[in-house]
Amino acid sequence: MATLSLDALSKTYPNGVTALHGVDLIIDDGELVVVVGPSGCGKSTLLRMLAGLESISSGELAIDGRRVNDLEPAQRDIAMVFQNYALYPHMSVADNMGYALKNQGVPRAERRRKVEETARLIGLEDLLDRRPKQLSGGQRQRVAMGRAIVREPKVFLFDEPLSNLDAKLRVQMRIEIRRLQKRLGVTAVYVTHDQVEAMTLADRLVVMNGGHIEQVGTPMHLYDQPASRFVASFIGSPSMNFIEARHADGVLTLPCGTHLPLRDGSPAEIGDAVCLGVRPEHLVQVSHSDDTTLVTEVELVEPLGADTLAHVRLDGQAELLVARLDGAQHIAEGERLYLRPDPERLHLFDPQEGHRLAAPETAS
Amino acid sequence: MATFQRHRLTPWLLLSPQLAIVAIFFFWPAFQAVIQAFYVQDPFGLGRAFVAFENFTRVLGSAEYYRALGTTVTFSISVALGAMALALLLAVLADRVIKGAHGYKTLLIWPYAVAPAVAGVLWVFMLDPELGLVSAWLGAMGIDWNHQLNGGQAMALVIMASIWKQMSYNFVFFLAGLQAIPKSLLEAAAIDNAGPWRRFWTITFPLLSPTSFFLLVMNSVYAFFETFGTIDATTAGGPGGATRTLVYKVYEDGFIGYDLGSSAAQSVLLMLLVGLLTLLQFRYLERKVQY
Repeated sequence: MATLSLDALSKTYPNGVTALHGVDLIIDDGELVVVVGPSGCGKSTLLRMLAGLESISSGELAIDGRRVNDLEPAQRDIAMVFQNYALYPHMSVADNMGYALKNQGVPRAERRRKVEETARLIGLEDLLDRRPKQLSGGQRQRVAMGRAIVREPKVFLFDEPLSNLDAKLRVQMRIEIRRLQKRLGVTAVYVTHDQVEAMTLADRLVVMNGGHIEQVGTPMHLYDQPASRFVASFIGSPSMNFIEARHADGVLTLPCGTHLPLRDGSPAEIGDAVCLGVRPEHLVQVSHSDDTTLVTEVELVEPLGADTLAHVRLDGQAELLVARLDGAQHIAEGERLYLRPDPERLHLFDPQEGHRLAAPETAS
Repeated sequence: MATFQRHRLTPWLLLSPQLAIVAIFFFWPAFQAVIQAFYVQDPFGLGRAFVAFENFTRVLGSAEYYRALGTTVTFSISVALGAMALALLLAVLADRVIKGAHGYKTLLIWPYAVAPAVAGVLWVFMLDPELGLVSAWLGAMGIDWNHQLNGGQAMALVIMASIWKQMSYNFVFFLAGLQAIPKSLLEAAAIDNAGPWRRFWTITFPLLSPTSFFLLVMNSVYAFFETFGTIDATTAGGPGGATRTLVYKVYEDGFIGYDLGSSAAQSVLLMLLVGLLTLLQFRYLERKVQY
């Protein structure tokens, strides 16, 4: 049980490359924080700095108020689950799980008891004598989890732990990790590039880009109120549609000629040109075209069962828009489709900087 | 499949140069040695007589043979373990170096390119009782070095020269072995409360065991057979047979003493001995090799 505080944490490598530019974050006791971002955004570096595997160039890292910048990984009382599991191939499952306890000098009998207890918790009782190479991917993942749990650390760190599993197992393990973390009440930091994993696991999400934190918040807050165009495109699947538009007197004019009145009039800081963002699920199909609908032509249809994704072309727009429609309905390629952006769910971004412009009211 | 059948000869044709080399330079001489071991031959090769196992009983009945066996055991264990331990130490150090790593590695591999006799001469010059630089330093420290008279020092000299020669070979394999260990394992161990020393002995060392086992076999064979050149160039088995190993005795009895029958019998015994040793290593040690 611990709180983690990151104060202006930075990482600059000896070759002059800066991987992390001053990250500030407070992680509460028992919270599961997911750090998400594209590859190279610094999320793994951040996690390795928390673990003590990378040195901290500047800033301060504290666990439970104690500065740990210069402590060895072993002294920080953290456990980490690695992407490739990092199981010791020459040790049995029981020895893998008991390795840290053994190093701490825990007596054999107690070690055995703790390992068996943890094995029961995660369903590994029958595998304790096996070697890692005799296990399936999912079982190895479990052992890696078990090895972290058995130590009862202050903090769990997860480095993309599910990325080597097949899709079905990934969903299953995701639920299990969530359940275990809540049950044990241990503070956890989880790094992933998979936004679905991020959304479903997180108490709070941290979106990173280029060594900066773009936004921190609950998954739904980030979905409803993305602070930047980057967050908007990263959270939600399929990704948000963006349309460059002109603005005058509380009305947006799209390149195709559609006029969209803004619900709360013009935000103060809004300029002449804006970038409009609409999520695929907030494009509503209507039967007739009017001044506020987008007249589009269907180029590609992806039926997903419950939903159907329609990739449609809009006049004056280089990229295709995506609309998430009811799966029961039949849509043919080449068909004309009338779509109305939900006026409650419009997002406006600065066309150059990409930051959110004081938003039209949205449900939160 | 049909296409392969039609070219049944091609694989043999492609293999033939290698097979010919093995046959002419390995199987034929070995076969000749086995034949020779059952004959007594005059030094000029003019006549020979079949004596069955007399050569073997003569060799196995001589105290000199057992003395050479003892020398060989001391020498081989020292060389194999010494060369492996030092190579492992250097490989661990070289693996940590970041700046100029390539240069260090090249320098550490170099001694392997030196011919055994040249390596031997190099050591003889350094440790020559009269002219040697190192023996002068030793003299200044109060150690009277003379491997031409002192059997123990002669042994130390051939062991050092042989270790130096073999270390590079071991170094290359250990370095490759170290680099094949996933970094995340050591990171996981660091998080699991293991300090550097403990990490080495509980993670790195066990994971190197396949490499170590392979090198143990190779180093034993090296110490038994391939150190001939080094010994010949440094001490020539002396003083007083203090560095006369089995392989050196084969050479001495055969090419200096012209007792070809005895020499052949000894080489057959040596072959059996090393074969047996390798078999034992595979039988008892390989089982302990991890994963």
